Amino acid sequence: MIIAILAIILVLLALSGEPLFIVIAAAAILGFYANDVDLSVIAIEIYRLTETPLLIALPLFTFAGYLLSESETSHRLVRLSRCLLGWLPGELVFVTLISSALFTAFTGATGVTIVALGALLYPALKEIGYPKNFNLGLVTSAGSLGLLLPPSLPLILYVVVAQQLNLGVPISITQVFLAGILPTLLMLLMLGGWGLWATRKTRIPKIEFNAQEAWSALKEAKWELPLPFFVLGGIYGGVFAVSEAAAVTALYVLVIQLLFYREIKFTDLPRIMKESMTIVGGILLILGVSLAFTNFLVDAEVPGALFEWIQTTISSRYTFLALLNIVLLILGAFLDIFSALVIMVPLILPVAMRYGIDPVHLGIVFLANMQLGYLTPPVGINLFISSYRFEKPVEVIYRSTLPFLLLLLLSVIIITYLPFLYY
Amino acid sequence: MAKLYRLLLKLESGLLVIILTTTILLAVLQIFLRNVMHSGLTDADTFVRIMVLWLGLVGAMIASREHRHIKIDVLTRRMSPGLCQVISYITNTFAAVVCAIIAWYSYLFVMFEYEDEMIAFGNVPAWLVESIIPFAFTVMTLRYTAYIFIDKPGQTTK
Repeated sequence: MIIAILAIILVLLALSGEPLFIVIAAAAILGFYANDVDLSVIAIEIYRLTETPLLIALPLFTFAGYLLSESETSHRLVRLSRCLLGWLPGELVFVTLISSALFTAFTGATGVTIVALGALLYPALKEIGYPKNFNLGLVTSAGSLGLLLPPSLPLILYVVVAQQLNLGVPISITQVFLAGILPTLLMLLMLGGWGLWATRKTRIPKIEFNAQEAWSALKEAKWELPLPFFVLGGIYGGVFAVSEAAAVTALYVLVIQLLFYREIKFTDLPRIMKESMTIVGGILLILGVSLAFTNFLVDAEVPGALFEWIQTTISSRYTFLALLNIVLLILGAFLDIFSALVIMVPLILPVAMRYGIDPVHLGIVFLANMQLGYLTPPVGINLFISSYRFEKPVEVIYRSTLPFLLLLLLSVIIITYLPFLYY
Repeated sequence: MAKLYRLLLKLESGLLVIILTTTILLAVLQIFLRNVMHSGLTDADTFVRIMVLWLGLVGAMIASREHRHIKIDVLTRRMSPGLCQVISYITNTFAAVVCAIIAWYSYLFVMFEYEDEMIAFGNVPAWLVESIIPFAFTVMTLRYTAYIFIDKPGQTTK
């Protein structure tokens, strides 16, 4: 009874804008206190963050992503993609999807992609003469693509959390990075296909491939072109570990933006560092207190009890996955992706593994659902960002995003039930 | 007094800049040494991992300063300003209490490590690198306490 009342109070506080790390820390404190565990354990758990080498990637990739979004990278990315893909039917649809996915993968922030790339692509789409609602929906939903592409921060964080759980099965970041590529391609193709169909009535003058323009766009982007190869080649070629790739990327981006492109001034650096590390601080703190809370949950054998309870009603893996999709969809609409990861993965992953679900598979399913949460009415955050950015009522954004949301939902179902996509 | 406060804010941000720059440079240097020179600085890896914790906690201090911690505010979004004010008293007080508890118990943890003469790496004592935990939570306690008195709703939901 007392536990229920305390839990309700904590949930109410969380919904009233209490910082989430405070709510989770409070839950851990109450739990440990009730079990007579010395509360210093919370400090020990926070310090235990230093035992995870992969965690270094978090601040370094975040910083690199901030630098990229503060400079003119978005312009160069869009210009280059248009030059290279201009010959395709519906080129701008694919340019929007692909460049947004790449930008989100590197900056880790889907909202930033809508603001930065949407500002360039939305007018271009309008100029071509595509229907207005289609353009809004495309730009809004494209922003959330890329969460499953390396080196996206949620992928890294998933592995960090999973590694803390002593699952008995090794899970490596390289596996998870690879596993996200095909599902992302699937989403790209489905949204792109829909884009072609939805705009079939719009007559567009074909753009001739212009070698000179393409060369000049390539030259302009020459310093940024190696970035994906750094990350992917470095990691898969075995030259770098992920944390090392993050360090190299951060230094490289810093050098090219400061010295070659000169779009960021030395005097801007303290502000950019401060802003990016504030985000990292928020995530790390939630991660630290969640580790403590998870520790309490495991001591109290909650994941086991949860499994027993779920198993009384659900015996098949497929029903479990369906239930998981529904729960994650609802959760994704309310919680931001980082808190959802650190709070829910420790509970869900051990249960899912008892149903025979592979941790890599679960990670991709989890994040794909969270990606949908960005676009789910009434509270999906990207809907509001888009409404704010393009100065349209949020109801208009709901309607224009709906077909894309349904397609993404379909792709999430495919991803959930066809795990062979990963191997 | 105001001058001292501004100086402290500058120190806080400055500390962040120094730690982040050191972390990047040291991590890259270490890769270079390992792959090209086939050597490496002893303990540099441990040092970098500790720096990440420092980065996170100093970042978290600043996030409290600017109300930028991750939160959900579905309930307060549509409330009247008066009710928001009441709720902001409650949430700030609760945050201050929770931070104070963690600050106190992490202080005890650090003292314990001090008495046990635990070593983090090389000859650097563990208490020194761990002391950022009680420090950060003390600063956050002070901030949330201050916000009980100076927060005006509207600022908090930004």
